[in-house]
Amino acid sequence: MDKHPRTYEGKTEIKIEHPDMIICRCEEVTLAQIIEAISEGARTVDEVKRRTRAGMGLCQGRTCSRLVRHLLAQHTGQNFHQIPPMTARVPVRPIALEVLASLEDDTNG
Amino acid sequence: MNHVELAIIGAGPAGLSAAIEAASVGVQTIVFDENQQAGGQLFKQIHKFFGSRAHQAGARGIDIGKNLLGQVAASGAEIKLDTVVWGIFEGNKVGVVTNGRNVICKADRILLATGASENVLAFPGWTLPGVMGAGAIQTMVNVHRVLPGKRVLMIGSGNVGLIVSYQLLQAGAEVVALVEAMDRIGGYAVHASKIKRAGTPILIRHTIKEAVGNGKVEQATIVQLNDNGNVIEGTERTLDVDVICMACGLSPLAELAWLAGCRFTDVAPLGGLLPVHDDNMQTSLPGMYVAGDIAGIEEASTAIEEGRLAGIAIAESLGYLTTTDATVKKQAVNDRSEQLRDGPFGITRREAKETLIRRSLET
Amino acid sequence: MTLIKDGYFSQTELAQLPGMPSRERLHEGPCVVIECAQQIPCDPCEAACHEGAIEIGDSIINLPKLDPSKCGGCGLCIAACPGQCLFVVDMTYSDTEGTVQFPYEFLPYPQKGDTVHGLNRGGDIVCDAEVLKVLHPKKFDHTAVITVSVPKEYAMEVRTIKIKGNHHG
Ligand SMILES: Cc1cc2nc3c(=O)[nH]c(=O)nc-3n(C[C@H](O)[C@H](O)[C@H](O)COP(=O)(O)OP(=O)(O)OC[C@H]3O[C@@H](n4cnc5c(N)ncnc54)[C@H](O)[C@@H]3O)c2cc1C
Ligand code: SF4
Ligand code: SF4
Ligand code: FES
Repeated sequence: MDKHPRTYEGKTEIKIEHPDMIICRCEEVTLAQIIEAISEGARTVDEVKRRTRAGMGLCQGRTCSRLVRHLLAQHTGQNFHQIPPMTARVPVRPIALEVLASLEDDTNG
Repeated sequence: MNHVELAIIGAGPAGLSAAIEAASVGVQTIVFDENQQAGGQLFKQIHKFFGSRAHQAGARGIDIGKNLLGQVAASGAEIKLDTVVWGIFEGNKVGVVTNGRNVICKADRILLATGASENVLAFPGWTLPGVMGAGAIQTMVNVHRVLPGKRVLMIGSGNVGLIVSYQLLQAGAEVVALVEAMDRIGGYAVHASKIKRAGTPILIRHTIKEAVGNGKVEQATIVQLNDNGNVIEGTERTLDVDVICMACGLSPLAELAWLAGCRFTDVAPLGGLLPVHDDNMQTSLPGMYVAGDIAGIEEASTAIEEGRLAGIAIAESLGYLTTTDATVKKQAVNDRSEQLRDGPFGITRREAKETLIRRSLET
Repeated sequence: MTLIKDGYFSQTELAQLPGMPSRERLHEGPCVVIECAQQIPCDPCEAACHEGAIEIGDSIINLPKLDPSKCGGCGLCIAACPGQCLFVVDMTYSDTEGTVQFPYEFLPYPQKGDTVHGLNRGGDIVCDAEVLKVLHPKKFDHTAVITVSVPKEYAMEVRTIKIKGNHHG
């Protein structure tokens, strides 16, 4: 299945089998877009996310982050298991802004 | 709710068991879960569980869950359902949305028992309606009693894939095939035999190539793999299916642990990157504990034992149990866990757990 | 090993199990057949048999060991096994037929007297089977235990049934 080179250093045009395949379903980011981000130098899940929005959707990357890690491993030679998922941010679940803003914090005092 | 002694995040088998141990000796305990129902994965599991008498073997997961809930009620712990924990902050503070209110709860001890998330596989067509995770299908079939479709392709031969196949057959669907990329069935043979004798083809060294359909899954193409895992061209077969179920493994759901700043390590047999924990289930952050699938993908039975261990250790650290009493209780738990982590399937997990605990001592 | 590749036993694999009664024993009267081959942490079968015919021993990962002389073939252990791998086979049912008792969790249940398909471990239809008994008392916890008669040569083959006209077992 692996028809493309393992490293993308210095390459901009890479042939991939299913360029239109969606990787991030929430934000509809395709395989080609992820590969492009990697070929432009993205080396972490966060860097891919910043360039493509993959992982910024409703599920907050729970579905696609692992796929992106696989692509990073496959194309940059990093060990899959050592690639951290994206940096966790609050809120870890989608929460309406007005609810978040209504924070009651009586714990200081 | 502004201050509790123990805040447990996740009311699955691990969180509930910890609550039982801690609250029953006096620890003021609250359990948060975003679901409407407590029990975590257990309420989807209508099949009989393995284990020994001490683990209620032979009982169905759902009944084990009911039993735990009864014990929680007796222990005095409070369960808050429909309550999302959205953040963890310095000073052991937990951000909680409950009843539409957003509250910060300060806890002397925090136990993360958030379980796992399902891995997905990307293939052309995987975003079509009808391609679903095994967990979602289990919820539909076993909890809501609706069939997602009539003809199913199952991907993955771990226990989850095997069990969900069986439950789909019970619900009246046909499992057209189960494909597995490895050269052997991943889960227990007894589970495989059940679906095999009911007529489900189990195809090892096979995977899905693509799903096609107009607005929803109508067909799936499967393909054979060689010993290196590469596609053997020309072996494509197209199946008429309306559901493709992905049972491709679970990963620890550890975002809150990342957020809190727990130290992680990579232990592949337990599901990849995990927060390290010591033999009391305490992470690298004092006062922050983990138990269950977040601390390594295993089983409900081991999640229950880990939860108990964490609950006992937490009660001890808060002074509700003497060291002598706690040691006796922990020993009993560890003996039971050791039984579960034995045999050709369990031993890898036992060794991996030992690695994880050893790494917690490194700096 | 075909069990882990195909999901069912080869005859050689079966013969090696400590839960397998001998051919001679099977022809003396009903006896349990324990098709449990992997050391999984599990032991309810041991407690389910009041005759002490099944022994797991100290470690719950031990394979269940059968003492065929103690087993009377009552079938009470069948529903207790979460692996659904206990069967009772009686080769002495008649001159030409034997019986197989097996666990069954599909609805609707067949009725006594029905003629159904007999399926082997691989899910192939191998013969007709006649339903002799369908038990599902409360203590079996939703696992029915069904007894069918089949031609003797299939009694060690048939492990479940398919109701005629239904697409699954
Ligand atoms: C199909 C299938 C079959 C299985 N069969 C068996 C079996 O036969 N035997 C066996 O021993 N095990 C079995 N298991 C495994 C078992 O279900 C799990 O190992 C076990 O449920 C893990 O328990 P847990 O408490 O860690 O997590 P879970 O049961 O997943 O519970 C975690 C809970 O945390 C909650 N949560 C997570 N994040 C948040 C948040 N931010 N805020 C609020 N709440 C949150 C979730 O809603 C959930 O209720 C099976 C699993 C599956 C999927
Ligand atoms: S059939 Fe009856 S006697 Fe034989 S092992 Fe089972 S429970 Fe014991
Ligand atoms: S109860 Fe069934 S699966 Fe469990 S050890 Fe006994 S025979 Fe094996
Ligand atoms: S799939 Fe990428 S954010 Fe949900």
